[in-house]
Amino acid sequence: MEFGWQEQDERFREALVAFVDETLPADWGEVSKGGPGSEAQAAFSREFCARLAERGWLTPHWPAEYGGRDASAWQHAIIGEELWSRGEPRGPQYMNVNWIGPTIMQFGSEAQKREHLPRIAAGDVLWCQGFSEPEAGSDLVALRTLALRDGDDYVVNGSKIWTSYCDHADYCFLLVRTDPESQRHHGVSILLMPMDTPGVEIREIPAVVGEKYFHEVFLSDARVPTASRLGPEHDGWSVVSYALQYERVGAPRYQRAARTLDRLADLARERGRLDEPAVQEQLGRARAICEAARVLSYRVLDLRERGLPPSADSNVARVAGTLADRTVGELALELLGEDALESGSFADANFRMSMTAGVAVGATEVQLNLIAGRFLGLPRE
Amino acid sequence: MYFEPNEVQQAILDAVAALLEQYAGPARAIELAAKQEYDFALDAALEEAGFTDVALGEESGPLEAALISEAVARAAGVVSSGAAALVATGLLGRKVPGPVALAMRGQSGPVRYAAHARTLLLADGDVARVVPLEPGDVERVPSGYGYPMGRIAPGAFASGEQLEPGSAARLLDWWRLALACETLGTMQACLDVTVRYLSARRQFGRAIGSFQAVQHRLAECAVQVEGTRWLVREAAWHGAPAERAATVAAYAADAAAQLFRETHQLSGAIGFTREHDLHAWSMRLQPLRLELDGVAAQRRALALERWGTAR
Repeated sequence: MEFGWQEQDERFREALVAFVDETLPADWGEVSKGGPGSEAQAAFSREFCARLAERGWLTPHWPAEYGGRDASAWQHAIIGEELWSRGEPRGPQYMNVNWIGPTIMQFGSEAQKREHLPRIAAGDVLWCQGFSEPEAGSDLVALRTLALRDGDDYVVNGSKIWTSYCDHADYCFLLVRTDPESQRHHGVSILLMPMDTPGVEIREIPAVVGEKYFHEVFLSDARVPTASRLGPEHDGWSVVSYALQYERVGAPRYQRAARTLDRLADLARERGRLDEPAVQEQLGRARAICEAARVLSYRVLDLRERGLPPSADSNVARVAGTLADRTVGELALELLGEDALESGSFADANFRMSMTAGVAVGATEVQLNLIAGRFLGLPRE
Repeated sequence: MYFEPNEVQQAILDAVAALLEQYAGPARAIELAAKQEYDFALDAALEEAGFTDVALGEESGPLEAALISEAVARAAGVVSSGAAALVATGLLGRKVPGPVALAMRGQSGPVRYAAHARTLLLADGDVARVVPLEPGDVERVPSGYGYPMGRIAPGAFASGEQLEPGSAARLLDWWRLALACETLGTMQACLDVTVRYLSARRQFGRAIGSFQAVQHRLAECAVQVEGTRWLVREAAWHGAPAERAATVAAYAADAAAQLFRETHQLSGAIGFTREHDLHAWSMRLQPLRLELDGVAAQRRALALERWGTAR
């Protein structure tokens, strides 16, 4: 055990921060208010990610043969921390580099790798994730969207829900049932579907957490070539499991929460409230919670860096990260009081971002189930 | 960063586990608690095996000392290993005659291990003091919270070797780390014994630990314990810098309250009895979370270190 940063990682963070500070526009605060899925941010991401890619900082942790430079998981984490905490100028593309690219690397055909990986590494392609369905939320394996073979195509019918970023996306990482007789995790497959496929329709679901945050995607006789299937037919669950273990660590929410908390302390100081013991206690409590989430995420990165299989440590980190996000989101409202209620206020924007923490990417209750079973070894009945 | 034990650390962990297996454990702790006695046999065994100066070694330091202190707490050891092996060595760079107690000047409440301590490390305003305790300096205080306790006579607060200005802050840093470390080992044992019991105990025709309502609460406890674990180890490796020490003390004090509440609630009536081991650890969580003026003080100390909110 040792807990220091490598010198090259520290230098990398410094260089990255300097680049980000000089690259983000003066009105970035305004641009980033709507979150990574907003019109403004998705558009900006194409420009920003291309510049990151020029420096080799979009996919440094990828193998060199796919446009990376074999950097450690730690450098990838540094990128995540610094960018997500600034409101994620990579927009939806953080998903590409975190898990969509790595999953294509693992399961893709040579043609799929040639088609998708260079574009992801260049930073000019947007993806969305077609997992949840109206009847398959936390219970993802209840999915019903059907893809039936017809010659060299699958004909896809069904619908996906809660899909973020799909209004800008070029492709969808689509989970479908290819064996209509199958149940649960058997008989499902992954399709890499272009979003301009005829028969794909999108409807925004208006939401209190932000504009253009959620969508429903309707698939009506959408034809997707069988060559676009990722991994084995009917055994796509192994692909999804691989993708989820990368996705679940997800965005470093703890870092955004910690940065927000620093800003809250500044605001409390400006308002002359930082000397109040109660305010100090609230800030100190929240800081400790953010720090626990950080070190627990590092625990997961350590396992990944050493190439070990995913463990329930990632579920522990997710629960801690959710708690950090929520604690700071609520504290922002409490500290700023009724001023927080004005649309677009600092506290308002952060609170809305924090609202989804315990639901997005697998509900907290699902994480707790996994911790109870795999980490504590409690009995099933 | 690397989160697994290296060879030296693994050897230390294995050796201390073997020693604790022989000398410590809940039965021994319960026996000593009934008499409010200190475990001099365990202390001597730890000393003889070289575990009290691990923090000062060439191949080991505060992290390794913290691992030992965590293991001792997990085995319900009735020894001042946190104060002796982490705080004294961190503050002074040397060992002091043990047992070791920690106090703030003027502290009127009972102090863990003070009744048996030969050395008191005292935070006195801006400075730390190393006070050799004499018979008569400490009055035994009866307490049912798992540690032998003593109240320090006001006269003892004024004596001893005075360290340099600013040394009190360093004492508090190491103290906060050691406190969190002991809390960690104690919480882990509470969780272990509760998971074991609820996996075996059947009601309504099934193991109680198979109910989701129960599982979620234990899983949330596990998150608290894991968070404390890695914060403690990270802070120890860094040598207990002020902000990290306050962070882990604040986090551990919060976690301790939750672990006490949940492990007792979920264990039901058996958890309140002396026939079940839970109390050997759980009752200790209260003095641990009250020490150093309690969770509110740790949180304020953290805010002060992080944002400079000097009053």
